[in-house]
Amino acid sequence: MRLHPFTSLTAAGSTAVITTAAASLPLSLTVIAGAAFLAAAGGAGRRMAPAAAGILVPLVLSLFILHGLFFPEGTSVLAQWGPARVTAEGLRFALERTAQLSASVLVLLLCSFTISVPDLVAALSARGVHARFAFVLASTLTLLPAISTRLARIRQAQEARGLVITGGVFRRLAAFRWQAIPLVLSLVEEAGTRAAALEARGFGNSGARTSYREVPDPPLQRRLRPVLLLAAAAAIAVRLWQPTAGA
Amino acid sequence: MSSPSLTLESPTPAAARKRRLLEILGALAIAGTYIYLVLNQPADITGGPGSASALIALSGFLAGAVLLIVAVLPTLPVSTLVLIPVALVLNIVLGQFVGSTLVPFYLDAIGTVLIAVLAGPAAGAATGALSSIVWSFFNPTVLPFAAGAALIGCVAGLAARYGLFRRFYLAPVAGFLAGIIGGVVSAPIAAFVFGGTSGLATGAIVSAFRSMGDTLLAAITKQALISDPMDKAIVFTLVAVLVYALPRRTRQQFPFVGRHRVLAGAGQSKGLPAGRTTVRSTVHSTGQDS
Repeated sequence: MRLHPFTSLTAAGSTAVITTAAASLPLSLTVIAGAAFLAAAGGAGRRMAPAAAGILVPLVLSLFILHGLFFPEGTSVLAQWGPARVTAEGLRFALERTAQLSASVLVLLLCSFTISVPDLVAALSARGVHARFAFVLASTLTLLPAISTRLARIRQAQEARGLVITGGVFRRLAAFRWQAIPLVLSLVEEAGTRAAALEARGFGNSGARTSYREVPDPPLQRRLRPVLLLAAAAAIAVRLWQPTAGA
Repeated sequence: MSSPSLTLESPTPAAARKRRLLEILGALAIAGTYIYLVLNQPADITGGPGSASALIALSGFLAGAVLLIVAVLPTLPVSTLVLIPVALVLNIVLGQFVGSTLVPFYLDAIGTVLIAVLAGPAAGAATGALSSIVWSFFNPTVLPFAAGAALIGCVAGLAARYGLFRRFYLAPVAGFLAGIIGGVVSAPIAAFVFGGTSGLATGAIVSAFRSMGDTLLAAITKQALISDPMDKAIVFTLVAVLVYALPRRTRQQFPFVGRHRVLAGAGQSKGLPAGRTTVRSTVHSTGQDS
């Protein structure tokens, strides 16, 4: 079944909120397993894995080094080297935070890797969300891959002209100028052309718009979304009511 | 560039008032959340996952950022609007690279500051907030920092408005000050939502303060006060280099630059490195494109 973009956004957002609010290790681990399973089943796993690793590996390492070695509040010391003390409390804190953050990150990544950007943009403009936000979103997502290749091409061109990135801060600053200025100049120039084209087509004007793209929104999903949002709000309310409950 | 339309109705004063109200509400939500977090200093942060404070920090800052976007986005001229995706791409491309490497900097605000200098504080704030929201499609961990990014954009726009980009040596000073503000606001997010920082090098600095017995929030605030001002000073300098390298025709597309004489005219750009841009930044009269 194909999900409406709003349904997957709502589902991912509510899951992230509920996991954060519940702050329970078993729930976080369940969500991680669920997200991994859905990614693998939906065929997004191969594309998602590098992205998730790039975000989570530094985060997890940083948390474990920080709380595993230095946790002044910890009492049960497992090992000690000079000022660094490995405490059970610190490790537990790092583990809980890691699970909680990984769950949220994986769920949100799963959503953004499975959502169809044209559908999302069409759905956003159909719902009266300003066409401008949809434009910024779609334009960024399509510009991004193009920029990396252009940056590589500019670097090759400058290297052909004798650019060698070495030495101190000023040399590096000069090298940055050599590469960034052509990039920014061409991007700004193109943006100016696009602005004129969009303006000529009435982009800046207010008023209703029609779209060629119809995104089906089954009634079941339409009813599911408020339920998910209510569940997230309820989770926040419960947590604020009993700030110290749970793990 | 854009002339008032003859067939479509022009925005009413009531709509402008509503937007102003949204802007103020957004700023209040961000300020209120920060004050609440600092005053309450939730004690549960290392006792158990401080999720009540994490939720308050997340929802308050995000709501503020979204309100700012809703208020500012419809008012921007199209020439500024089409630059926002460019700014976002610059933020992401440069920030993604630096963020995970072994440098305690982020450099994820170059595009935001560029827009702020060219189009003013409101556009800068909206770009900062949008940047975090769109970037979170690839990296959800930047989403909670939307309010900090909006603040950096706003401060950069104010710095440009009051002429801090007219002298090349003032740009890093403005960046340093913006970094202090941004760092102080972002530290509670890092502490309550992440329980640390998301980078390795910044994590090492926090560890050093923790080993001296600081609380987590104190350690992260100190780390932010070390990293952020330096980071933003570098970013503001790089943006000054970029802005002075833009051709005059491009700069003139932005009424803000002309109206507030954001950039120096002829003869004042000798502080630039390599002196290659002096020819381009010639006389810049005021009010030429308002």
